[in-house]
Amino acid sequence: MMPALFSMIRNGVKENRVTKWLVSGPPLVFLLVFFVTPSLIMLLTSLRFPGEFGGLAPITLPTKTTQEEHGLTLETYQFFFSDILYAEVFLKSFVVASTSTLICLIMAYPLALLITRSEKRFRNLMVLLVVLPFASNFLIRIYAWMIILGPESVFSHFINGVLSAFGVAPVTLLFSPFAVIVGMVYVHLPFMVLPLYTNLEKHDPALLDAAQDLGANAWQRFWHVTWPLSLPGVFSGSVLVFIPVLGMFAVPDILGGTGDILIGNLIKDQFLGTRDWPFGSTLSIMLTLAVLAITALAARLARPTSIPKG
Amino acid sequence: MRRRNIWLWSAAASAYAFLYIPLIIVVVYSFNDSKLNAEWVGFTLSWYVALFNNQEMLTAARNSLIIAVCASFCATILGTMAGLAMNRYKLKFLPVLVFAPVAMPEILLGVALLLFFLQVLNLTLGMISIIIAHTTFCIGFVAIIVRARLQGMDESIFEAARDLGATPWLTFRLITLPLIMPAVVAGALMSFTLSIDDFVITFFTKGVGEPVLPIQIYTMIKVAVTPEVNAVSTLLMLLTLTMIIIATKLDSGALRRETKQ
Amino acid sequence: MIRFCASTALLTILSAVFLVTGCSSQDQNTAASREKVLHLFNWNNYIAPETVKQFEQSCNCRLSQDYYSDNEEMLAKLAAGASGYDLIVPTGNAMSTLIHQGVVRPLDKSLLPNLKNINPSHLNNTFDPDNKYSVPYAYTVTLLGFNQQKIIELGLPTDSWSLIFEPKYLKKIKGRVTVLDSQRELMSAALKYLGYSANDANELHWQEARNLILRAKPYWAAFSNTSYIKELAVGNLWVAHGYSNDMFKAALDAKKTGRKFIIDYSIPREGAVLALDSMVLHQSGTHPELSHQFINFMLDGRNSAELTNLTGSGNPNMSAVQFIQPEIIDNKAIFPDQELFTRLEMLQDLDRTQRRRLSRLWTEIKLRNL
Repeated sequence: MMPALFSMIRNGVKENRVTKWLVSGPPLVFLLVFFVTPSLIMLLTSLRFPGEFGGLAPITLPTKTTQEEHGLTLETYQFFFSDILYAEVFLKSFVVASTSTLICLIMAYPLALLITRSEKRFRNLMVLLVVLPFASNFLIRIYAWMIILGPESVFSHFINGVLSAFGVAPVTLLFSPFAVIVGMVYVHLPFMVLPLYTNLEKHDPALLDAAQDLGANAWQRFWHVTWPLSLPGVFSGSVLVFIPVLGMFAVPDILGGTGDILIGNLIKDQFLGTRDWPFGSTLSIMLTLAVLAITALAARLARPTSIPKG
Repeated sequence: MRRRNIWLWSAAASAYAFLYIPLIIVVVYSFNDSKLNAEWVGFTLSWYVALFNNQEMLTAARNSLIIAVCASFCATILGTMAGLAMNRYKLKFLPVLVFAPVAMPEILLGVALLLFFLQVLNLTLGMISIIIAHTTFCIGFVAIIVRARLQGMDESIFEAARDLGATPWLTFRLITLPLIMPAVVAGALMSFTLSIDDFVITFFTKGVGEPVLPIQIYTMIKVAVTPEVNAVSTLLMLLTLTMIIIATKLDSGALRRETKQ
Repeated sequence: MIRFCASTALLTILSAVFLVTGCSSQDQNTAASREKVLHLFNWNNYIAPETVKQFEQSCNCRLSQDYYSDNEEMLAKLAAGASGYDLIVPTGNAMSTLIHQGVVRPLDKSLLPNLKNINPSHLNNTFDPDNKYSVPYAYTVTLLGFNQQKIIELGLPTDSWSLIFEPKYLKKIKGRVTVLDSQRELMSAALKYLGYSANDANELHWQEARNLILRAKPYWAAFSNTSYIKELAVGNLWVAHGYSNDMFKAALDAKKTGRKFIIDYSIPREGAVLALDSMVLHQSGTHPELSHQFINFMLDGRNSAELTNLTGSGNPNMSAVQFIQPEIIDNKAIFPDQELFTRLEMLQDLDRTQRRRLSRLWTEIKLRNL
């Protein structure tokens, strides 16, 4: 089957449609089977009752009569919308995710730009250096931050020394929203650098030269040429940081203080704490919908229509 | 130009510092002669010795590497295809399909896949189930990067190639692939690290009696972060570095030959 | 470019093949000599490596362990239908869940002659009357761990939950206290302090506990389930609400690394939560006989004592006592005396409406301030 199709393509048969499905077919089928089906299962889960002892209550009542409720229900959605508390958690998570994304962008952009402007033979190495820390275990890296931010650490003493020089009371860095943001940024930084780099790398340097010839200064060249051209990269990077931050629960768990509960923690609690799978699914569905809506909106804003062709 | 470069350099250098300071701590403490990762006591290799005597840990490392290599391989191919497809054929639903696994909280994906594997497919959990699960969430990451690379690229090159009579396959091989290569490599790297690091989905989709690294490490950390865990991390980084360097060596050789032709 | 792809693919396949063969050859070595594999789904670090070795020698089989670090992780995985585990070691309330779900096998006590070693006061628990399914393994108590030097210096009480709930004490240790990141455990501590049962599910009592927690929350550094072990041993934390075996570890670490202070721990006089972990056969297991053999092996005093000596967990095995290190057996927080023991309470599972109510309350506790 496959070789036949390939030979068709090789022979230059006019078959746009075949190419189209050859390219989009495999990922489509894979995702339909291994993502859409499980998602539908979870959608169904959100409409069920939790089992008395965890798991799920049956949809149809088994032959032996039990007291358990069964069938389908919208009660989890009612529960979600009847309480402002959950909206607050969502809002808080979105604030943390936006902050982390913004800081990632600010840190990653110069890095990606520098890699792009380096000599070609160094580029791969520099990209590698960005990814390499992530070959070590995620939790180990977070625990390393616990050491850095700990109350007796060099860094803490330094910060508090500086603060006291300005007459500010000492602060605790660990177990705070600050630590959560640091952790989030640290864990997700490569997700911003890589798409930015792959985007910036393809820009035609001739454009910058042309701008320079037209008398644009460094800032103008950046703002009018590089930045608008890099918007797809900025968008992809932001998506890849923003979304995973929302679902992350380990960072607030380990580095956060007493008030750092994010939507990821809430969802985790439903599966690994309360044994309330239907509500956990409902929360996840709400989160996924919110994220897709935001992504679609952002995609519309970042669409490279106004950008000059490279 | 000069001043801007200095600014750029210092900003980038601080970003690298941010990335590497925690890492230095991890590596340094792996040689520390104290059970607590608290202060420097003295140099020792005993944690590495302990590690090499820990059969369960070594098996776990092997399993995880196999999983990461296979999952990132599949995800890179499928993700690249998805990225190309999203860019060229404006299929409305494909972007949603690609973004959604990235947007779905890990824990939900873990439970959903577990239910699916066990109750729909009736699959015995094992390496395959973990590889499938990891591929599922990595595809999106690859596709998004590849699409970012393609976006705004001049379509006319591809059209020119087609007009010159190149088959789609030839166009892809000679024009598209070289152009998107950095994105493909970046996607592959990202998938690899995502896969080797993932705890939640791995916990749910792993089979009985097969140790995998994230869970093994998590197990140790639950008790306390011992330098042995640091040693594992250090070795893992070293191994990844070697693998990538070998791959890029092969790559640059091939690249030069290609460009000369 | 094709060459590049080919070489990468080749490299991938080669490394995979290398790894797979490396793996399987080693597996074959072990598989050839020992055919049977007993699958134990166990807590992290909850069996001494020497014990594993000895059991493997005695049964001519291999003991393969999968780990969980929370009962809920194990329950979630099993609830989705995971199978192949011969033995599980859940805590009492999780055990009652498994029994109610009907996923465990009854024990054949004729295969467990060592069952006589278990102290009768740990048998016949509400979660499993007559021990039809389960056999006690070890227990922990949820209590308070503290930096002895600091506590004496500041003149604080160590035998009461007031240490983590009363602002007048908390003032002195602000930001140096953590409490468990567990709905049930923290609520139980608060309920106990208020004089109620740990299993009290009365809405008004829960509100009282919530207010108590919210009043104390500003003084706490964090909710922490694991990191308190190290932070106590390092000296960053002065007080932590946690499990007795974790405190045992913290104290040991502090001692081994030559700290100038001692980490001590005690059971509050208002009472605390007792977590009794028991061994049980999962219905999906394929080696019931071997499982019984393992249970009987672990009921042997010497083997059981090894666990206590390693982890500092409480031991329900009477014949183990003689093999346990004297400083552990004399520790009142690990082996509470009769009088203290009566004030310990095991958690019972909440029903699903209570669980959802508690989860909501927990979210509120984390999100809001008084």
